[in-house]
Amino acid sequence: MKTLITLIIAFILSLFASNAKANSLLKINFKTGNPGITSIHKMTFGPEGILFIGDSNAAQIVAIDLSEHPKLDNSKVKLDQLDKLIADMMGTTIDQIQITDMVVNPQNDNIYLSINHSSGVPILLRVENNVLKQVPLDNVSYSKTTLLNPVTEEAKDRRGRKLRKWAVADIKYIEGKVLLSGLSNQEFASTFRSIDFPFSEKQDYSSLEIYHAAHGKYETHAPIKAFIPTSINGNLHLVAGYTCTPLVVFPMNEIKSGEHNKGRTVAELGSGNSPVDMIEIESEGNRYLLIANSNRPLMKMDFKDLEAYEGSLTTPVVKKGAAVGVDYVNLPFVNVQQLDKLGDSFLIVQRESNGNLALKTGNSWWVK
Amino acid sequence: MYAQQSSLEFTFTKNKVLIKKDKLPEGRIVIFKGEISEDKLDSSTPILGKTIKAQEGTLFTPVVPFGWNQKYTLVYNHIIEYFKLTIPENYEPLSVTKIYPSATILPSNLLKLYIQFSKPINTTSIYNHIRFINHAGDTLSKTILPLENPLISDDKTVLTLWIEPGRQKRGLKPNQQLGPVFNKETYRLIVTKNIKDNNGVSMQKDFIHPFSIGDTDRIKPTIDDWKIDIPKTNSTSKLLIRCNESMDYGSVRDNIYIVDSSMQEIKGTWQLLEQETILSFQPIELWKNGYYQILCNPEIEDLAGNNLNRLFDKEIKNTSNNQSNHQKYSLGFTIN
Repeated sequence: MKTLITLIIAFILSLFASNAKANSLLKINFKTGNPGITSIHKMTFGPEGILFIGDSNAAQIVAIDLSEHPKLDNSKVKLDQLDKLIADMMGTTIDQIQITDMVVNPQNDNIYLSINHSSGVPILLRVENNVLKQVPLDNVSYSKTTLLNPVTEEAKDRRGRKLRKWAVADIKYIEGKVLLSGLSNQEFASTFRSIDFPFSEKQDYSSLEIYHAAHGKYETHAPIKAFIPTSINGNLHLVAGYTCTPLVVFPMNEIKSGEHNKGRTVAELGSGNSPVDMIEIESEGNRYLLIANSNRPLMKMDFKDLEAYEGSLTTPVVKKGAAVGVDYVNLPFVNVQQLDKLGDSFLIVQRESNGNLALKTGNSWWVK
Repeated sequence: MYAQQSSLEFTFTKNKVLIKKDKLPEGRIVIFKGEISEDKLDSSTPILGKTIKAQEGTLFTPVVPFGWNQKYTLVYNHIIEYFKLTIPENYEPLSVTKIYPSATILPSNLLKLYIQFSKPINTTSIYNHIRFINHAGDTLSKTILPLENPLISDDKTVLTLWIEPGRQKRGLKPNQQLGPVFNKETYRLIVTKNIKDNNGVSMQKDFIHPFSIGDTDRIKPTIDDWKIDIPKTNSTSKLLIRCNESMDYGSVRDNIYIVDSSMQEIKGTWQLLEQETILSFQPIELWKNGYYQILCNPEIEDLAGNNLNRLFDKEIKNTSNNQSNHQKYSLGFTIN
């Protein structure tokens, strides 16, 4: 009997060991030290507690290992006057800070906020028991890759190269790839990048073009503001939101490096608006797409409707500000500045009607 | 119990507070923003920073530098002190040093504008500090593409603004509903004095840049029409390329270079002169006799976003094979 127990324990331990070995593959290139993060503009979590940081100022993506943070119950989180609280923590005023992103680690429900201060110092904060704590970035386990264009690489020793910028608009991770959308100050173009992870030399670039329903005559190269990779009818797609506000789907297997790819516009969510964040929530077997907007309330779209919609909007929307295409409902959350998934519900940073900037959870009732 | 305004010996700069060694037991330095009274300390949020023991005493380093004219409360060993950093008398205030394009008459479909500042700026809510005013004195709305991450140069002194592309490009919804941003009249670009540098110090007065709007530009720049003033051999005199129009400051800077007959790049400095109609190149080393090529990436644009390859709002004729073209454009010249 004793031998049997020993064997069982040994078997369980070997499972853990092989798991740990498999896990370590993603972090195989990680080293410990200061990754030299100069700004945090967009963040997303990959597997194993790896946080991907889009650092536009240094034109780099930094992956840091945050798996050591313990699992938390943040279901009741509520922080009021978030901007004042953060400004106080930095000994500065609200106009000197920018809350650039908020993400939740889906494996342990830790909430992270990224802040840029006018002095150029980037700060990462973590919520623990309704209190903000700093996550030091000067000694972490990390791996990173550059976002410099091949053109810039080729010309890196030339003078006067400091003006070229590429601002990360959104970043997501899926199946060994970091996906990025952004805008440069060079060309008004919708460059989309796919970077293998663990990072290697290889980066794919493509240009994702859309047919804007509001115009049939001229090309649109508008940059993607927010996107998610997701399954539509069993196949991996990119759902992308653009300024003003077409929602476009691209089959991932059709996005070819170096090519111009045309998407299918499935909805127009109203003019004078820009998507801010986009998440997918699964609840009781149903999947919903939530979209936070600059000038519209939080929108909820049922994936069943999105999957059933086979058309492509190619004619102008005549009625001013009207929405067409896949149906959605407006949820009673306006001025949502940040959005992410938290458990089976969602987490927002919202400017409330009384001026209070609040970090709080949405009621899961809305996504059931 | 706290002792207020004691004789605690300490010094402070933007990046540290030092409590000199004395007979007090060693403790942790805690600093709060503002003048906090003793009864409110427990409910206040201390600022982020590190306390370390240094040779000269106990040192506190804030995560971000202390601000000018901001009051702080220092707590150490139950002693409360207040301090404030005043702006140095010789502090050079922020100013706008240059606007690109610098021409006084601009095309109505102008796409980009660059603001050069005298020192690094704070980009938080930057678009609230920049506006266009028309001849009648009205502020125009929806003129600049607001980006969550403003396009600021590495040294934080050059800001790129996109003039709302949805309005400047024909056929798009904002263009149809609001029309193009500019009509053929005079305008003023205003950078308000509320804009701050990275130390949190504002400009002293509004910056005002008048300009007029002329015709729409829907013609691609053609390098075959550019004229070259060939420099003399054995000199470092400037090579001048005279374009027929003002070129876009940002896209030219990054996309033009000169190679010799063995395709080796000539090192030197580019400048844009005469309202950005002349591209000037001064080599570091002497020009030698031989054949040279000026190589241009297709991304070089005029003021309306038309590049060497395509118009900004090209009409769709054939959308089936619309891949971006990465060919280079070249102009050759010989120095004798």
